[in-house]
Amino acid sequence: MRILTRARCLWSTLIHKERLDRDLDDELDAAVAELTTRYIAGGLDAHAARRAALHDLGALHDIKQEVREARLGAGLDACLLDLRYAWRRLSNAPGFTAVVVATLALGIGANTALFSVVHGLLLKPLPYQDPGQLVFVWLNRNQVGYTRGPMSGPDYRDLRDRTGSFADVGGIWATTSVTFDGGSEPEQVRSAYVTTNFFDLLGARTVLGRAFVAADASSAEPVILLGWDLFQRRFGGDPAIVGSAIQIDGQATRVVGVLARDFRLLLPPDASVPAYLQAFTPFWPNLENGPRRNLFMRVVARLRPNATLTAARDDVAAMAVAVSREIGTPRSFTLAGLQDEGVRDIRAPLMALFAGVGLLLAIACVNVAGLLIARAAGRAGETALRVALGASRLRLLRQALVEGLLLTMLGVVAGIGVGIACVRLFVALAPPSLSRLTGSTTIDLQVLLFTIGVSACWGVLFSLAPATEVFRAASRVAPALASSSTRTAATPLRYRLRGTLIVAQIAMSMVLMVGAALLVRAFDRIIHVDPGFRGERHVTFRIAIPGRLETREAVNDFVAELQRRVRAIDGIIGGGAVSHIPYDDLPNWALPYSLEPPIAPDAPSADTRAVSVGLLESLGVTLLEGRLFTDADRDPVHPVVIIDDLLARELWPGRSALGRPLYARMNHERATVIGVVKHLRLRSVIADLSPQMFVPFSIAQRNPIAFMFATAGDNPAALVPRIRAAVASLDPRVPIYEPRPMQEYIDQARSTRRFTMVLASSFALAALALTSVGVYGVLAYAVAHRRHELGVRRALGADTARIASAVLREGVGFALAGCALGTAAAAIAGELLRTQLYAIEPTDLASFAIATVVIVGGASVACWIPAWRAIAVSPMDALRWH
Amino acid sequence: MAKRQADIVRGTLDLLVLKTVALEPRHGVGVADRIAQITGGTFKVGAGSLFPALHRLEQDGFIAGQWSTTPEGHRAKYYHITTAGQRKLAADKKQWARIVLAIGQVLEAD
Repeated sequence: MRILTRARCLWSTLIHKERLDRDLDDELDAAVAELTTRYIAGGLDAHAARRAALHDLGALHDIKQEVREARLGAGLDACLLDLRYAWRRLSNAPGFTAVVVATLALGIGANTALFSVVHGLLLKPLPYQDPGQLVFVWLNRNQVGYTRGPMSGPDYRDLRDRTGSFADVGGIWATTSVTFDGGSEPEQVRSAYVTTNFFDLLGARTVLGRAFVAADASSAEPVILLGWDLFQRRFGGDPAIVGSAIQIDGQATRVVGVLARDFRLLLPPDASVPAYLQAFTPFWPNLENGPRRNLFMRVVARLRPNATLTAARDDVAAMAVAVSREIGTPRSFTLAGLQDEGVRDIRAPLMALFAGVGLLLAIACVNVAGLLIARAAGRAGETALRVALGASRLRLLRQALVEGLLLTMLGVVAGIGVGIACVRLFVALAPPSLSRLTGSTTIDLQVLLFTIGVSACWGVLFSLAPATEVFRAASRVAPALASSSTRTAATPLRYRLRGTLIVAQIAMSMVLMVGAALLVRAFDRIIHVDPGFRGERHVTFRIAIPGRLETREAVNDFVAELQRRVRAIDGIIGGGAVSHIPYDDLPNWALPYSLEPPIAPDAPSADTRAVSVGLLESLGVTLLEGRLFTDADRDPVHPVVIIDDLLARELWPGRSALGRPLYARMNHERATVIGVVKHLRLRSVIADLSPQMFVPFSIAQRNPIAFMFATAGDNPAALVPRIRAAVASLDPRVPIYEPRPMQEYIDQARSTRRFTMVLASSFALAALALTSVGVYGVLAYAVAHRRHELGVRRALGADTARIASAVLREGVGFALAGCALGTAAAAIAGELLRTQLYAIEPTDLASFAIATVVIVGGASVACWIPAWRAIAVSPMDALRWH
Repeated sequence: MAKRQADIVRGTLDLLVLKTVALEPRHGVGVADRIAQITGGTFKVGAGSLFPALHRLEQDGFIAGQWSTTPEGHRAKYYHITTAGQRKLAADKKQWARIVLAIGQVLEAD
């Protein structure tokens, strides 16, 4: 009540400062007038009377100043006094304050940052209209090992026309690129085909022009929709571009609109739709009647307002059964909420990390509580003295609370800084699943409030620890005064409590450390996985095959010449063309194959890539049988194919695959196996064991075409300008785009695991540091309290080794107890990480051993200073105390 | 004993001001007059102490000021006691009685 009144007065004092000042002036003028009247009545003339009145009042200016201070002080005094007192106490112990603030900053910062990520990915709705209604639809090809694959045009039509659950269904295929010919420099941009309703379905806005309309699908004139970035960069943000025709791929193409600046394409990471697409064109007109075997469309649907996902699944399943019967092959679909699907692979590790960072916060809080208890105990004498002098318990409690809150607030401020730095780090580690976070690297308001809420709670909690000392002191004024408690041995109860806290802390650190060790070891396995090729020194780029090259042979000649010129560059030692760069986020080819013609519609499919002569050699693949491609393999009528050992074993177990016919759906279906290579992990570093086929680029061309060239040096990117020049020397109108070292793709493929590992390791190291501080704190406290005892023991002849080892034994005892407890907890918690591990079990003994050694080592180091102090106690100290 | 001006015992100014305005609303000069008058001139409150005290008490909600007109026709700010002020006055009076008693006991014990 009083506090509220004060706050209100203080508020009005500050807000109505001018009015209050005027009021005060008036009041003092009135006083002068009153006194002057009296002096005049007493017989003075007006002038003298006024002078006398002013003399009586004193210096008006000083009075005003004092009144102002009084008003301010009345509002502030109590709180300000407590605050000032707290500040003084904290700044008198800078080491203590720094440790506590750093501890809190670490706990709060890491939590805020991770919560920002969790909030941004898992909780915050996607930036689309009614995002809860959006579902992603996959074609379930379980029979060939893919439960989540793209679908054909007719499948899309079935979903739209033969189900009742969807308000609308849209599709996208990010396969192609377009060349902007107009202007000074031709430029190539990745683009996607979309159904004309795609952007309306998402509720995406255009800032200029319009999104596609149904008529665009069949319009004679090509149309294009631009992303904001491209519009700004290439067209300087000129609105006149909308509605006008620009040259794209040598054709006059009308720009219908520009998407809003904040529009982002956030489809699941494995949907092969990159988030940065900037140009969109409608699908070709006969899309929905195309062959069912052409699987490429990624489909997003919007549920009707009253439909549920479960009902839609049943609805779609019923439709799929009917369609399967009609077409004679099984068809089935997988439906998932768009948002859930987007975080499918990152949700589990994020939740595990969230649990981990929660443990870190708990450790930090226990640490701070322990430090505050020690400090309050050290002050028991002072507190007792103040109680004896009449300080009310309420006052002491309030001071403890203010001190705790002040510490917390310092921690919060530092923590926000740590949090912002952490979020930057997370985004820099950038797994594709986190791409949604880029651009919003700041901590949002909700997250900030969450942090302040959590820390305010902890602030109160921390303050309770010293508060117990207040009551302890209050109940034992006399004994505490009689012998200032710093001289007595630590009370067994209090010491046991701190011991328990320390053991709990070590146990929690152990859980984090085991988790981190597991992830580090799994990542180490992943790094050392042999992908079957060496691409670390390759540089990659793409070009679009110029439209003027109309025949297959012309394209082959162009590619061969380009390859020849680039290979002539000093520093390039090999390489060639490939249809799909490993680990890229563009759609792959999956071709059905069979030993006998015809190829059944539900035939299994193999990951297929077209490679030019020299590419496989430059990747250092292991040739198990036969030979690699040569310039002679250009015959499209009798095509040749190279397969991996998985496919060879599957089709011809125990026999040679060489020379055998394989029917694959290419230009001509019968191909001859000329070579078998060891499986290449090209799609994923970890979980890629689907069979592979390689076909000569000369007979299976893809546009745009990618190149991978091996370099001799350590910096493949440095050669990009020379490659650009070499390509320009061949055709100045063919720009190279997306030049990237292969290593970037490799890093990208490992990034989710790396993200989890780096974070978990950071948390574990932070936990180790905090716990070591905790162990140090409790032992230093114990040693300080036993100076007298230690001195007596020294005086009685105990040697330094014995005393030091007593202290060390105590610390290591805590550590071992904590590790034992932590091992049990980690054995249970390890299951959480199972999906994130690779080639090791959650019960991996080595990880537990490493964690134990690190924790016990850290604790021993932390024991060393107190042990050294214990040795340094001289026997004379014991005598001087009394 | 010669008639001398005494320093106002620290902390008692608030009590005196509250007591003074509890009888009837007064303006600043009026409060000073009244204190001097009742104590026979023993306590003379200077403006430099009085006005800050008035404002502090107003800030705390123990008294409230209101502009009004003096019998002579000047405008002046009149302070009256609030309910909270009355409670504080009663409590402070008791506290003061205890202090006086305690000090008295100390002085008499020899």
